Order: sequence, then C-alpha cells, then structure tokens
Amino acid sequence: MSKQEPEVRKGEWEARLADIKYSLYLLRKNPLVITGTIIALFFIILALLANIIVDPKLAYPEGYPGNMYPFERKFMWNANHPIQWGPGISLYTGPEFFPLGTDSYGRDLLKMIILAIPVDLYFAAIITIIAAVFGTLLGAIAGYIGGIVDEIVLRITDVFFAFPGLVLALVFASIFGRTLETLALAIILVWWPPYTRLMRGQVLSEKEKPYVEALKALGASPLRILFGHILPNSIFPILVQATMDFGGVILTFSALMFLGFSPSPAMPELGNLAADGYGHVFDAPWVMLFPGLTILIISLAFNLVGDGLRDVLDPRLRR
Amino acid sequence: MKLHVSSIDSELEDEALLKVRNLKVWFPIKSGVIQRTVGYVRAVDGVSFNVRKGETLGIVGESGSGKTTLGKSILRLVKPTSGEIHFNGIDIVKAKRSEMKQIRRSIQMIFQDPYASLDPRQTVSSILYEAMKIHGVVKNKVEALEKAIKLLETVGLSEEHLYRFPHEFSGGQRQRIAIARALATNPRFLVLDEPTSFLDVSVQASVLNLLKDLQKAFNLTYLFITHNLAVVHHMSDRVAVMYLGKIVEIADKNSIYRDPKHPYTFQLMDAIPLPDPDARKERKLLEGDVPSPINVPPGCRFHPRCKYATEKCKKEEPQLLTREGKRLVACHYEIDFSVEKIVGEVGS
Amino acid sequence: MKKQNRTQPILEVRNLKLNFHTYRGEVKALNGVDLKLYPEEALALVGESGCGKSVTALAITGLLPENAYIVDGEIIFKGENLLKKSKEEMREFRMSECAIVFQDPATYLNPVLRMGIQLKEAVLLHKDALKQMVIAEKRGEKIGYQEFLAMKTSQNQISTKGYRVSRKKINEMAEKLIMDILKLVKLPDPERILKSYPHELSGGMKQRAMIAMALARRPSIFLADEITTALDVTIQAQILYLLKELRQKIATSILLITHDLSVAAEIADRIAVMYGGNVVEVSSTRAIFKKPLHPYTQLLLKAIPNILNPTERLESIPGTVPEMINPPSGCRFHPRCLYAMDICTKNRPNLKEVEKEHEVACFLY
Repeated sequence: MSKQEPEVRKGEWEARLADIKYSLYLLRKNPLVITGTIIALFFIILALLANIIVDPKLAYPEGYPGNMYPFERKFMWNANHPIQWGPGISLYTGPEFFPLGTDSYGRDLLKMIILAIPVDLYFAAIITIIAAVFGTLLGAIAGYIGGIVDEIVLRITDVFFAFPGLVLALVFASIFGRTLETLALAIILVWWPPYTRLMRGQVLSEKEKPYVEALKALGASPLRILFGHILPNSIFPILVQATMDFGGVILTFSALMFLGFSPSPAMPELGNLAADGYGHVFDAPWVMLFPGLTILIISLAFNLVGDGLRDVLDPRLRR
Repeated sequence: MKLHVSSIDSELEDEALLKVRNLKVWFPIKSGVIQRTVGYVRAVDGVSFNVRKGETLGIVGESGSGKTTLGKSILRLVKPTSGEIHFNGIDIVKAKRSEMKQIRRSIQMIFQDPYASLDPRQTVSSILYEAMKIHGVVKNKVEALEKAIKLLETVGLSEEHLYRFPHEFSGGQRQRIAIARALATNPRFLVLDEPTSFLDVSVQASVLNLLKDLQKAFNLTYLFITHNLAVVHHMSDRVAVMYLGKIVEIADKNSIYRDPKHPYTFQLMDAIPLPDPDARKERKLLEGDVPSPINVPPGCRFHPRCKYATEKCKKEEPQLLTREGKRLVACHYEIDFSVEKIVGEVGS
Repeated sequence: MKKQNRTQPILEVRNLKLNFHTYRGEVKALNGVDLKLYPEEALALVGESGCGKSVTALAITGLLPENAYIVDGEIIFKGENLLKKSKEEMREFRMSECAIVFQDPATYLNPVLRMGIQLKEAVLLHKDALKQMVIAEKRGEKIGYQEFLAMKTSQNQISTKGYRVSRKKINEMAEKLIMDILKLVKLPDPERILKSYPHELSGGMKQRAMIAMALARRPSIFLADEITTALDVTIQAQILYLLKELRQKIATSILLITHDLSVAAEIADRIAVMYGGNVVEVSSTRAIFKKPLHPYTQLLLKAIPNILNPTERLESIPGTVPEMINPPSGCRFHPRCLYAMDICTKNRPNLKEVEKEHEVACFLY
C-alpha cells in the first residue's frame, strides 16, 4: 500500500524537474547570461575557497591582532617603496612577485582581494536575503488583505523609501559602533521597501485572476490561497530582483566601507582596499583600480544573471 | 382582455434544489477623496427563481444583464446585497463560514476562461488532490491517486495527464480538468459560467456532450449561464432571460424560442444568426445599445427600447408572473409578435 | 443577393506558404492557401482557431509580425504581387485599397484622442480628393460620401490645376464628409460621438466607428477579422445588418473572417473553409450548408448546435487541432478523418472544382 505513495511523489517531482530543465535550456541560449553565470559562479567558488588559498594572516603582517589601528606605515620613494608592482621586495617576506601590485601596507594586493571577496559576498547575501524575505512577506500580506492594513504598510514603506542610506548608516555607526553588522543592518533597513512594493503589486494582480476565484469557489482558505498559490506564482520577479539587487548591494556595501565606515583600515574588504588607494591614485593607481574593478565585475555578473533570469521567465517566450 | 396570472413557481417549491428569492447584488460606486458612495451598479436587482433537481436551467442575457454576477453570488464569490438563496436548508446569503464550507462541497463552478482558471504552477494531480484535501473527501494519498485517475477517465483524459502542467493542454482539455476538479468533491449542483465560450466549435461540441453525459451519470443539476442562445437551447430544459439585472421571462426552451412572450426575448431570439442561409429573413432590429446597470430606467427597464411601450410601462415595473400555468413573464401586456400588436393586458 | 461578376478576381492568393520562426521551432502556419476574392462579393473565411485565417488576413494587408516569413506563393492584386511590395507601398495599399477592421476596437483606437480627431486623420489622408470636392462644391455640385467614392475612378476626377484651396476649407470638407459617413454607419448623435473618447463609447459603437474609419479610405476590399465576436447578440445583428446595407450602397468586396458559420450564413455569398493552414473547401453559402463535401466541413456543421434542428448529442471531431511545428504529413486533416486513405498521409490534395463553382481539396474526389 505504501509503495504507491512514493510513486505519487515521484511523479510530481519528475514534472517539476522537467520544468526546471526547460528553464535551464532557455538560459543556455543567451550568451550574456552564460558569461554572467560563469563569472558569478567563479566568484562564489573563490569566496568559499578563499581562506584556504590564501593565508588570512597575511592581512595582518607583523603579527598584529584584530584591530590594526594604528599601523605603522613604511613609506619610501625609492626602490624599497612598499607600494610595488610586479617583481619586488616585500617588506615582510623578502623578494616576491606581485601580480597586481601591493597596497599601501605592502601586502600582496591579489591575495588581499581574494580574502576580501568572501566578506563582501557573505554580507551582500545576508542583506539581500533578509531584506527580500521581510519585504516580500510584508508586501504579500498587505496586498492580499488590502484595506487599512494595506494603507498602513504602504505609508511605512514610503517612510523607509525616503531614508537616505548613508545618513542612516552614519547614525547607526555613532549609536551602535562601527562594525560590519551594523552596516549590514543599516543597508537592510533601506533595502526592503522595493520588495514590498513589488510583491504587493504582484499579489494585487494575481488576486484578480480567475484561478484564485476558482480556488475560492472550491472552498480554499485565504491562507492556502496566499501561500500555496499566489506566492509561488509571484516569486519569480522577486528572485530576479534579488539577483540583480545582489550587485547593487555589493556596490552599496563597499561604497560605504570606502567612505570610511570600516571598523579597521587594513581589513580585507573591497571597498576598504579601494579606500586605501585613494591617496595614491596618480602614482600607484593599481591600489585603487583592482579592488574597484573587482567590485564592478562581481556586480555586473550578478546583474547579467538577473537579466537572463528575467528573460527566461518572460511568459511569452516560455509558454 | 385581462390575463389570469398567479405568483411565482409555487408548484415547484418541493422539487426545487435551489431557491432564489428577490436576490439583489449592488456594487457601490465610490468617488471623491473620502470615498463617498455616489451610486450603485445594480448588477442583480431582484431576481427570483427555482431550479428543479436534475434539470438544467439556462440563464441568458447580454452584457450588463447580470447573469455572471448571479452565478457568482450563488457561490458567494460576490457578496449578495439582499435576498435569499436557499440550498439544502441553508440560506447562502446569511450562512456562516462553516456552513459555506459545506455548501462549497455541494455546489461547484466551472469558469469561462480555461486558460486562466487553473493555477499554472500546479500539476493536474496537485489540482485534483487539493480539491479533495480541502473537503476531506479521501483519507490518504493512495486513495487520492485512485480517485484522481478515475476522475480523469470520467472526463475523457487519462492517467498519463496527471503530472503535466496546464499549459501543456489545449483549451478543451483544460476545461475537462476544471470539470474533473469540480467533480472531485461529489457535488450535486454545478454553476457553469460560459464554459464553452472560449472554445472552438468542435471542441465545444465534445465538452457539451461530456456535460450532458455527466449530468445523467451523476444526477447533477446545472445552472448554465451563457450568451450563446444556440448552446443554451441545446443544453437546457428551461431558460431564463435576463435584462439589466432582472429576469424577464422563464419558460421551457422550445417555448422561449418559438413563442416568446416578452418583447426583449423576441428580439433576442430574432437576432440569432442561424446556420442556414435559407433562414435569412428580414429582421426588425432592436435599436440602441445595451444599457448600463448604473442608470436603470424607471418603470419597466426595457421600455426605452421597446416598440410597444406605453405610459404604464414608463411608470410601473412589471412583476414576473405565471402565464398559462407554464411560463413566467415580466410584462404588462400580451403581445402578438406576428402582427406586432398588443392584444391583452395583465391584470393583477 | 447580388450577382457576382464572373470576371477576374480582384484579389487572388496563390499557393501561399508561410512560417513563423519561434523559440520552439518553425510554425508552418500556412501550407499553400488558395483564395479568390471577386469584385463586389462577400466571401467568408471560416475556420477554427489555429487554421490560419487571421494569418492570411495579415499577409494580405502586409501586417505580419517580424518573425513571419513567406516560403512560397503570391498575393495578386491588380496584377501585382503584394508580397513583393515595400513597406511604404503596403501602407499605401492599406490606406486606399484595403481596409481592415479587427475584433477588438478598443485596442485599435487611440485612447487619448477624441473620436473626431481620429476619424479626421483617416479622411485627411485623401487631401487630393478633398480638394476636388471643395472645387465641386464651389461649382454648386452636390457633395457627400457617394461622390467621394465616385472620385476614386479617374474619369470622375476634377482637375485641381490652377486652384488654391485653403487648408481650412479642406478641414471643413473633411468634417462634412465624416458626418456623412457617420450617418451611413448609423451612429446616433454624430456630433456627440465626434467629441467623445473611445472609452465613452460602447462596443457596438466603437465597431461602427472602426467601420466608418475604414469607409473613409474608399477601400475596394474590406477585411473584417472577427468583428462581431466580442459583441452581444443584438449588437452583432445590428452590425451584420449594417454590413449588408453598406453592400447595397458601396461596391466593395468583403472578406469576412469568422469562426462562426452562422454569421457567415447571414452575410456571405461564398464561404471558404480553412483547416490547418489550407483552404479545404470553397463554394456558395448554400452549397456549403446543404451539400458539404469535405469531411471536415461535414463534421463542423454537425458540431454546431442548431436551434432549427436540435439533436440530443452534437458531433465532435475526433482528435485535436494539429500542432503546427510538426504538422501531419500530406493532408493535414488525415489523422482525424474517417475516410483517410493511404495517399492522404503522403500528398496534400489541391483545390479541385468538383461541381459547378464548388471546389474541394480532398482525395475522395
């Protein structure tokens, strides 16, 4: 008797798998998306392996623990210049080849960037996921219930929309101290409103569709309709938005770090590394250039993936 | 000459499965910053009728007649403003949530658009299973699977269709899935809202045949709403004609077509294009446009477009009364359409 | 019923083969369509969804979408192949020879312009004719839509050499002409209509307005693509009656596309039945109904619920509409045909005149 149960489940999953396979097939057709996906995947893998490839202690040479402030900077305008490119002499480990040069602390820039990537990706992921989940749920409830609940949520959303992220981040810094976590919180608080608006719009339009009416006629409860039917049907624009947002969050996060939000100036983080090079733009441009370029490439990659997803989910092409 | 008339449908009271009394569904029109109600769309404006067990009652009308709203209000998909809808001893208008759940098991609905009435992300098996789960029709998944397969076979599909998505089916097949879903709860009454309007002629034929077969097999009662007069004639036992929110005539299908008593019914039947080029005749066209249920004319609603309208028609609204014991007409007069003359007046 | 001119057809579609390029593959929408439209006749193109009737209409008017391409065949109008014409030339064709009215007037009318402006736009395309009418009016001649129509033929034209007609006068003439046309299509209260926006008009009125805009172009071919499908029964009857009346007054050919055989029975002289991208039967309306020859036509007629001849069950056609990416080989109807023979799976039958003026594409004959 119970032999048949797995059969039922298997059939369902097979169907869903076939559906996903079709989506992937469509994805494969678009060269931009493929490029973006490969780059994005590359960075994700890199992030996961970063601390294995590069010794994290290299970020803090001379054995200085945690907070690097103050850090003695050895700065000489001659052959022993710590900011070097290519073959050179490391202040700490002797002769070495610096493929991307060094930063103003004499550390190998390439290694620093590798160490910085997981930091950025991790926080960008956390921010995007929390903002998206919160915003989506709020929007779904507001859209479905409507009436005064909807009005209240809309007004709250408007207020948060108007918040300038930078100001909020600075306020948070002064109250809660300058840590990556408070920065993330500040960004989350200004990042969720678009998801609410988006989800609310989706729910409002799905609500009117005949199949929802048919479900009501069937006797389905509002909870079942909202979470079992409307949500799954509206989730894709959210996914697209979130993927594209990922790039935006990385930009915002690193930008705020660049502007001085970071808890420690030598901490490996892309914005931080770029800030380091700000003072040496003309004589050692690579210090700012490469971290900045990395930020650009990562957000572009995720943007392309999101774009491709959007095309794939375009109902005209699909059905 | 005064006609002898009596009040509505009284001899059918006992056999009636569904009894609608004076149903009104008004939608408020709001305007202005503070959203004052400035008027009403009187979609259904006082409708009474009975549906006998096992029969098919057809509801026809043009846009603005209120027929779709009527169908939806029976399932309380729109909230009735006033009136009574009696089914199985419960008044649907006043029923509680728990009672409605019971009702929804016995009354099911088939919708017009087969492309939109199924959730595009659900497989057929999921659609059917959900219907069964909501009403606790089966005990476990195994039973559900068995029942789902049986349902599919009943509507002319097969087991292999279980794990496909709606977009993989044609319009006719999707309607069959919708019918299977409706049957999953073992209903007694089906409201069909234009079930074949979006389908091709040949597909429509097979779906209509299916509906007839199912009615016989499961002893179902149908409320068949449509604007297609040929289809309603084929499917129904009796037909009710609606105009601007009220029923103007109810009679058995042949009388409605061959011997209409209400001027609007006459015009409606006259306007049907027939699949016979020899049957082309000179038509006395109905002038003007289908009116809106926001500004309902006083007196008889049809009087602005009625050839036979008198002063009485402009002031007094005619009641739906029995004539000759078999049909109901809402008109002050008896009219002979062949000579286009009023030949009698209704006394009350 | 008018006697057709048994002359040359005014429009002829010869062996038209057309595909659509889509994500899932090539949709072979038209598979060799043959059609002849004679002057002053009303031909109904009947078929179910997917048969290619609307595509044929789009091909005739040059309104095909980007992903459509012609594989073979020609559309001959006045001795020229329309398929070889440029976009400009096709625009000219649509402007003055072939007017098309679609099913949903709401999407074809500009929602932010009043009706008067839109109608005037259509009429002002014929500045030259308007100039001539102003001159004629000055001369004391009667002017109106009939005269506007008559001016289409060159012998009725007036030379505009040496005359200067002001723009204001042309505008006034356009307005007069519009009023005349609106009366022709029986739109009540034309003054009010001109000032209204499209959304203020009912479905029936919008369709009449669309017909008016079509008439303003003095077409020799009037293409009506499912124009009454979205309308109520009584309004549909009004529009069909209007078309019948217009036929008395204006000598155009009408190509009526519909899925409703009863509507075709109302108004058409001849009916062409389409299935799977082909015309399978063409004949006079009477012959199609009284003596259908193609198996598809026969089944189609039995599937319609007929009030005059009610049956307990309706005949349905076994199988489903063919999928056009991989259509059936040979005759596209063969998988569903009771009489299918071996040859039906291999070759496609051509239209053959089996009886007087009754053509069928079937190997049974």
